[in-house]
Amino acid sequence: MKNIIIYSTPTCVYCKMAKDFFQKNNIQYKEFNVAEDEKAREDMINKSHQLGVPVIDVDGEIFVGFNRSELEKAVLGK
Amino acid sequence: MYDVVIIGGGPAGVAAGVYVARKKMKSALVADSFGGQSLVSADVQNWVGTKSVSGFELGKMLEEHLRAYESDIDIKIDLAVKVEKKKDGFAVTTKSGETLETKTVLILTGSSRRKLNVPGEKELDGKGVVYCSTCDAPLFHKKTAAVIGGGNAGLEAVLDLLPYATKIYLLEYSDALKGDAVTQEKIRADKKVTIIFKAKTTKILGDKFVTGLQYEDMNAGKTVELKLEGVFVEIGAIPNADFVKGLVGFNKFGEIIADPKTQQTSQPGIWAAGDVSDVLYKQNNISAGDAIKAVLNISDFINKESSTGGYTK
Repeated sequence: MKNIIIYSTPTCVYCKMAKDFFQKNNIQYKEFNVAEDEKAREDMINKSHQLGVPVIDVDGEIFVGFNRSELEKAVLGK
Repeated sequence: MYDVVIIGGGPAGVAAGVYVARKKMKSALVADSFGGQSLVSADVQNWVGTKSVSGFELGKMLEEHLRAYESDIDIKIDLAVKVEKKKDGFAVTTKSGETLETKTVLILTGSSRRKLNVPGEKELDGKGVVYCSTCDAPLFHKKTAAVIGGGNAGLEAVLDLLPYATKIYLLEYSDALKGDAVTQEKIRADKKVTIIFKAKTTKILGDKFVTGLQYEDMNAGKTVELKLEGVFVEIGAIPNADFVKGLVGFNKFGEIIADPKTQQTSQPGIWAAGDVSDVLYKQNNISAGDAIKAVLNISDFINKESSTGGYTK
């Protein structure tokens, strides 16, 4: 099973869409709220060199934003 | 061949989809997501029949309503990239490479965010340059940010930043804010916020991340530099109509000109409504209503065509 981490903020719609996508496909993920978790925010910035959410880490492959077709490829192998 | 292909998944697209499905027209709807521009709104309070709903929930409600008619309309989660005139109708090409042949097209693609088009903006997109304030404002905890644009969207971006940023500059091109008076008061009352008028943003500075912003003070005729980590761009919208360039008539704002009575465009067989059209007021409820108006007119067009063996104007 792939190790999936999503860095999100509570008000971010694209984060919700990404989580919805994981839930619908029965995919487990770990979530960090970077609005509050400063360490996770640093991790996210270091991984993505970006200041925007969501950042999704699929086994070390980094996705910025929610792109359904890219995630389908990476996660479901479609 | 379809009777109608609807392009767009905002309130207009879904309203049109529900109506064409109920009319049992042979139809398809192409949209890459549902909810439209309100998707990123924290709280929508003016969608009639719903006191308060988040943009995300609104998008889900719209999609559910449309999918209730899934047996009567082909729903394509895809993006329309081209519409071409054919001998007896149109061909709509999608990003995934599908081609949909149809007698008529209803364009309900709304608009997307206008960019500043200044050096540094593209390079630093997502590295301090922000287009979704509700998403990314929390990342500017203990940081300094500027909001460009003094309309409602700009004022709301300031509100999104207030709980997090230590200092917020609001840059407005003209000499007055345009957003709601209530929001203006809230912002003016906060010492963290400095409002700068007659400011024309000229450059966003930074290497890996945003480190500053340059603007022209049009009153004093000088260039000023601000040190900051975030630039929130809230300067209005541009219609999503590139895929029908050359096919329909546009006004100088790039909006598709549509007859307010029928929503017909200058190209027979193509209709448009909502924010992509030259409608005077850009509102979810208006877009939905105008899209339905278009569907009824398309239905008349199709019926007339089948009863007379050809539509002549």
